[in-house]
Amino acid sequence: MQGIIRTIRDGSGFDILLLGLALLYLIIFSAFPIVYNIIMSLQTVDMFTLTSFNRPFVGLQNYYDIFSQPVAGTIFWNTVKFVFLSIVFQLSIGFGLALFFQQDFPGASYLRGLFLAGWIMPALVVGAIWKWLFAGDFGVINYALTSLGIADDRIFWLSDPNVALYAVIIANIWLGIPFNMILLSVGLASIPRDVYEAAELDGAGAFERFRSITLPLMRAQLGAVISLGVIFTLQQFDLIAALTQGGPADSSNVAQYWSWQFSFQTYEISLGSAVSVLMIIFVIVVAAVYVRSTRHEHSY
Amino acid sequence: MLQIEIDHLNKHYGGFHALKDVNISIKQGSFVALVGPSGCGKSTLLRTLAGLEKTSSGDVRIAGRSVIGKPPRERDVAMVFQSYALYPHMDVEHNMNYSMRLKRRPKEEISERTRTAAETLGLGNLLDRLPKALSGGQRQRVAMGRAIVRNPKVFLFDEPLSNLDAALRVHMRSEIRKLHERLNATSVYVTHDQVEAMTMADHVVVMRAGVVEQQGSPLDLYDRPANRFVAGFIGSPAMNFLPATVTDNGALVLDNDSTQIGLNRDIAAGCQFWIGMRPEHLSLKPCVNDMAIDATVTGIESTGSMTFVVLEVASQPVVLAHSGRPVTRRGDHVRLHISLDNLHLFDRETELAA
Repeated sequence: MQGIIRTIRDGSGFDILLLGLALLYLIIFSAFPIVYNIIMSLQTVDMFTLTSFNRPFVGLQNYYDIFSQPVAGTIFWNTVKFVFLSIVFQLSIGFGLALFFQQDFPGASYLRGLFLAGWIMPALVVGAIWKWLFAGDFGVINYALTSLGIADDRIFWLSDPNVALYAVIIANIWLGIPFNMILLSVGLASIPRDVYEAAELDGAGAFERFRSITLPLMRAQLGAVISLGVIFTLQQFDLIAALTQGGPADSSNVAQYWSWQFSFQTYEISLGSAVSVLMIIFVIVVAAVYVRSTRHEHSY
Repeated sequence: MLQIEIDHLNKHYGGFHALKDVNISIKQGSFVALVGPSGCGKSTLLRTLAGLEKTSSGDVRIAGRSVIGKPPRERDVAMVFQSYALYPHMDVEHNMNYSMRLKRRPKEEISERTRTAAETLGLGNLLDRLPKALSGGQRQRVAMGRAIVRNPKVFLFDEPLSNLDAALRVHMRSEIRKLHERLNATSVYVTHDQVEAMTMADHVVVMRAGVVEQQGSPLDLYDRPANRFVAGFIGSPAMNFLPATVTDNGALVLDNDSTQIGLNRDIAAGCQFWIGMRPEHLSLKPCVNDMAIDATVTGIESTGSMTFVVLEVASQPVVLAHSGRPVTRRGDHVRLHISLDNLHLFDRETELAA
C-alpha cells in the first residue's frame, strides 16, 4: 500500500493516474455513447426494448428507412443550405469585422469586446428575441422593411415555408459572427506589422497585401474557424427549437433536429440514432480537415 | 549629386516631439549611419524616409523630388528590417521576387534577377526553403536579397545585424559595406552600436532625443566632437571626463584636487568645464607635451592585445588604454601622463565643446 502511494506521489504512477482519469472520462462520456449509438442504429429500438440491450439486429435497415422517408431529401438539402449559408456569412462578416477592428481607432478593443455579448447569450434566449424580431404582425424587421419601402408586404418569416429556413439561418449567422470575429482577430493580431510594412515597400497595395499576405497567413485560423463553424452549426438545436421547431411542414427542418424528433418525439429511437451516426461521420471528416489545417500554422 | 535631402523635418506623436528640426543631406553613393541611444528618433527618421511614418512638417526629397505624402511604393526605397520581416509563407525565391511579381515583370527577368541576387548573397542552394528553415544569418541575407533585387535608389537598414551573434555581425558588416560599393547604392543605416557606425559609414549622424547632435565623417566626430554627448558616445572605451574649474589666475584646476592643467587658452575665471580625455591619450609613461597626475590602479582588463587600466584620479574613475600586456597591478600608485595635445574641453553648463 505504501509503495503504491509513493509511486503515485513521486513516480510514474502520477502520470498514469492523470492519464487514467482522462481516459476513463473519454470512455464513459464519449466513446461509450458513440458506440452505443452506432449499435442502436443497427437494431430495432422502440419504447418496449429501450431498457434491454438484447434487441433485434436489423443491419442497415434503419438507414434504408431514413432515406425512404419522403422528407429525407428536403431535410438533407435544408441541412446543406443551413450549414453552407451560415458558414459563408458568419465567416465573411466575422472576417470583415475582425479586419475593421484591427484598424487603429479609439475604442476599437472595447467595441470588439461588446460583440461578445451576443455570443455569451444562450441560443434559446437569442431564439426568443429573434422570434419577436421576425414576428409577422408586430416584428420590427417587417416594420423596417415596409417603412423603408424594401418590401411591399409583410413577410411571415417563421410561418411561410419559403422563408422559414432563411429566417433560422439569419439568426444563426448573427449568433456565430462574434465567435468568427474573435478567433480571426487573434489570428490577424499575430501577423507581425513589419511583414505588412515590408510588403508595402515591395509595392503591394492594400488589396494585394490582403490577398498575398493576410489570406495565406490566416490559412490555419480560417481552416479552424470553418471546421468549428461546421461543427457548431450541425449542433445548432436550441435556435431551431425556439424559432420554428423545423416547421412549417419540415420546411426549416435540419438533420440534427430531425434526429431529435425521431428519438424523443416519435420514439423511433433507432432512426434517430441512424441520422446522428451519419452526422458523426460527416463531423469526423470535418474534424480531420481541422486537425490538418492547424498544421499549417506559421511561426514568425 | 544629392540623393536624399532632409529639410527642417519635424515629427510629433501626439504631444511627443520625436524629431526636432532635422536637416541632413546625403550624397548619391554614400553610406550614412544614424546612430544614437534607444529612443533617440533614429528609427523614426528611417521610417519617415521609407514612408512608413507621416511627417509633421518639413520636407524630404529623394533624387530631387519631394516624397512628402507619397506611399512607400512610390519612393523607390528598399528596407531591411531588424526582424527581417520575411514573408513566412513564401520560400526564399518568392520572398526575394515578390516585388517583381507585383510589378508583373516578365518571367525570365524575374528568375534571372532573383538568381543573380541569390548568388551574390550565397543563397543559391536555399531558394526553395521557407524562412523558418533558415538560420538567423541566412534570414538576414534573404532580407538583403529582397532589397537588392529591386535595384532601388536608396537602401534603408534598420539595425539589421542586432539579432546576429558577435562573429557573424562583424562578418556581415564588411559584407554589407562591400555590397554597398558593388551596387553603387545610397545607404542609410540605423544602429545603436557606434562601432558599427564608425566602421561602416562615410557619414555618421549622431542623434539624441530627436535632435541631430552632430554629423560628419567618422574620424571627424571622433577627433572633434561638438559636445559632451557625442564625445562620450563615439569611441570605445568611452572618453573620460573630469570636472575642472578656471581659477582667478586663469589656470584650469581639477575639482576635488588641486592639480593644475596647463592649458594655453584664454578663458574667463570661474568657468566650469569637463575635461575630456580619450583612454588611448593617457599613458603610464611620459610622452610628448604631457603632464602627470597621481593615480591609483583600481582595476585591470586585458583582451590580450590591449589592456584597459581603470584608475582613480581626483576621486573619479578614469580608463586608460595601452597595447600589450598589463604592466601594473591593482592597488599600484602610478603617475598618469596626459597628452595635452589631445585634450577636449566641454562647457559644463552648455555641454558644448570649448
